[in-house]
Amino acid sequence: MIAISGLRKKFQSGDQTIAALRGIDLEVPKGEFFVLLGPSGSGKTTLLRSVAGLEKPEAGKIILNGKTVYSSSPRVFAPPEERQIGMVFQSYAIWPHLTVAENIGLVLTHGRFRLPKQEAAQRIRQSLALVQLDDFENRPARLLSGGQQQRVALARALAVNPALLLMDEPLSNLDARLREEVRANIKKLAVRLGITVMYVTHDQVEAMVVADRIAVMAHGEILQIGNPFELYRRPASSLVAEFFGSINWLRGRMLDDTRVETEIGNLTTDGARRYNGGVVVGVRPEDVKLDGAFPGDENRLEGEVLSSTFLGDQRIAEVRIKDKTLVVKAPPDDGALAKRVWVHLPKERLVVFPEMPEQQNRL
Amino acid sequence: MRGRWLFVAIASAGLLPVIGFLLIIVWMGFWQGNPGDPVSYTFKHYETLFTDGATYRTLVNTLGFASATVLFSLFFAVPTAWLVERTDIPGKNLIFAFMTIGALVPTFFTAMGWVFLLHPRIGIVNKFFVDGFGLAQGPFNIASLIGMGWVEGLGLSSIAFIMIVATYRSMDPALEEAARVHGLGIFRTLRYVTLPLTFPGIVAASIYVFTIGLSAFEVPAIIGMSNKIFTFSTYIFYKIQPLEELPSYGMAGAVSSLLVALALLLSWGYFRVLRFSHRYAVVTGKGYRPRLVDLGKQGRLLAWIFLGSFFFIAKLLPFLLLIWASLLRFFQPPSLAAFEQVSLINYYGLPWNLMFHGARNTLILMVVVPTLALLLCLAISWTVLRSGLKWRLTFDAVAFLPHAVPHLILAIAAVFTALFLLRNVFSLYGSLTIVIVVYTISRISFATRILNNSLAQIHPELEEAAFVGGLPLWQVMRKILLPLLEPAMVYAWLWMALLCYRELTMASVLVTSQDNVTLPMIVWGLWLGGSLNQAAAANLVVLAFMLPAVVLYLIFGRRSRFSEAL
Repeated sequence: MIAISGLRKKFQSGDQTIAALRGIDLEVPKGEFFVLLGPSGSGKTTLLRSVAGLEKPEAGKIILNGKTVYSSSPRVFAPPEERQIGMVFQSYAIWPHLTVAENIGLVLTHGRFRLPKQEAAQRIRQSLALVQLDDFENRPARLLSGGQQQRVALARALAVNPALLLMDEPLSNLDARLREEVRANIKKLAVRLGITVMYVTHDQVEAMVVADRIAVMAHGEILQIGNPFELYRRPASSLVAEFFGSINWLRGRMLDDTRVETEIGNLTTDGARRYNGGVVVGVRPEDVKLDGAFPGDENRLEGEVLSSTFLGDQRIAEVRIKDKTLVVKAPPDDGALAKRVWVHLPKERLVVFPEMPEQQNRL
Repeated sequence: MRGRWLFVAIASAGLLPVIGFLLIIVWMGFWQGNPGDPVSYTFKHYETLFTDGATYRTLVNTLGFASATVLFSLFFAVPTAWLVERTDIPGKNLIFAFMTIGALVPTFFTAMGWVFLLHPRIGIVNKFFVDGFGLAQGPFNIASLIGMGWVEGLGLSSIAFIMIVATYRSMDPALEEAARVHGLGIFRTLRYVTLPLTFPGIVAASIYVFTIGLSAFEVPAIIGMSNKIFTFSTYIFYKIQPLEELPSYGMAGAVSSLLVALALLLSWGYFRVLRFSHRYAVVTGKGYRPRLVDLGKQGRLLAWIFLGSFFFIAKLLPFLLLIWASLLRFFQPPSLAAFEQVSLINYYGLPWNLMFHGARNTLILMVVVPTLALLLCLAISWTVLRSGLKWRLTFDAVAFLPHAVPHLILAIAAVFTALFLLRNVFSLYGSLTIVIVVYTISRISFATRILNNSLAQIHPELEEAAFVGGLPLWQVMRKILLPLLEPAMVYAWLWMALLCYRELTMASVLVTSQDNVTLPMIVWGLWLGGSLNQAAAANLVVLAFMLPAVVLYLIFGRRSRFSEAL
């Protein structure tokens, strides 16, 4: 459905040139819910806008539905109106001078289709029904609440029967409660319509809820593509691991294929790769086990509990081992923690990466 | 807050004369008699206003002139704004610089150029047709409502442009992108989305330009008066400084009252429309630039042909005509014979002694007026936004009046006050002081708007933190507010200084002696006296003096602030 290769784009900002996309390759099969995830400035929105035809890249190729819509050589650039897409904007971009029905009607009667009035009216009703806004047809759009505008934007994008639906941070302007409800609905709707979706967000939880697959982006590059489970459990780099939830890093160096000498002692890992030089061992807070007694197994170290906070569904503790403080998520019902505990770092939960320069400062 | 009343007092000192002048104008309309005579009152002038054919003709003239001004200014401003904000046209900085400078070039300067070009008798284009094709009369007549509207419209296109650019910028570009993405092409997007959404902004700009046109003085004075085409401003001026009869302050007062009422009505309409257009304004958190329309090679060429002709016609052509005129003793179209007569004699023959007086006075005005205006407006803005005073919004409303009330009328009220009310108290008439006072008052609206916008962006807690630390108000002003307001103040100061330099409207009634003569008045004096070629030379000299100030402005003033004040 979408095939992108070697896509590059630079921006000129004052005297500086910023590479927004540095060679993006990806493929999205038909019917997939594909999420671009990354911090601001990672290039995810630029990538989405390039697919929409709202940005013109400098090199590479974009194929939508078998049709080349952008290519640097031979030079091809299909303007947005020829790309058969629907799009939901971050600001919703609901035309404030029109009613709800006219917002949808304009793209049906003056867009690609030029539908006759009657047929358009029927399509308007259908698409408003999809987003449960049946009685809103004649409402002036500027009087809608944020959540309603968001739904009109979705109805408008779907009304044109797009081969591809693009969504640019569609939930970021909604309050937290509404966001949870809407993202579940969007996912259900996409599955029901069997539509291909490309979705931009910076919220990792949102991405995991809606996505079939996620591409994690940073600095104009794709760091890793995978389903939520793979990205969480088998991150390809420390950056991806950090982006998906919190993680404790331990500095060290590898003694052999599986054993690492770290700042809190020697640890055994599952050992997939051997790195020379400095490495970091990562363990997520919920994977650290706190046991009162010493069962005499590997990766068990004695630590001192510095603080323990009860949060209802979990207990967050800070545990110091030697000079290093680890954050631990423990079950909530363990009662008050003893002052000294045995800390277990299960080896199958440890990830090892080469140490990055910027990590040195933070650890 | 210690010292609060000092600020309120300064603010009031700036605003009371505004109210005073307005009352005086209305009162003047009932007033009858000549300087020295015993005063009596009459309804006669207000009666004449509604019964006399001359007033009616003037009204029709003025409306026609102002409408033509709006049409011509929009014709250039709207496409230029769209090209700059929504297409990939090259040279955008150049366009902005040109438009800013365009707003500074005195209108009397271009007006004179247009007379040399299109005057029915001496204009070179008309002469070319008359001599070349044996026509009885030149085909173009600049001394008409359309002609004068053309000149005024070209001059005001800069302001219209800046306002319409602001409309585009306040519009979420995603609104247009949403249309493109869902299948509307460039032109349908323009028609169904861009134009309807910018329409209120364009209407607001039209009303704004129309209001200026209604009270515009320079073009009707340079082009219209000698051809007996009067608009309100020149009609009022003529009542005060007639050629044959005695001045009729009463009639001037009555017409002025009518004009003030019209202008206030329009300003009210302007704010209504502006509020409407702000309903469409969306502030997006995203800083991305809108997708620019790709003009293509041909489109860019066409766009630049349009812009190039606009720049050439609006500024360069009148400028070239003035240079040509300044080099000749008697104006004539370029020809071999004419070239032989080219000389600098007009420049040698300028009243240099008077010019030095004028330069000195103008320089004093350029320094004193912006400084005084900023001082007053700082107090006004502070009173409006920070004093917590019950009447603070009244201060804001009064501060707006000098924008709505035609400046010529402010000047007439001041002259009347000096001549009849304060004659035995101070001698203000013909002094530089009266010019300073009126110029300063006329700039209050502009400076207050700029300072209000800047002050509103400074969080009050910054000052409160200092008050809590025990600083008195004047120290808070000096140590906290002034440094934070500095960029806005520098910009406003420079802009006002430049406007002082080119000011002719108010000077036309305030300047009566060598003591308070200004440079534009010398140019105008030569023009009125019939020495057109010498006036052209003087005009160029005056413009040359202005250049360093314009360069300073372009370096230190920021163009983006201009639209805040509209």
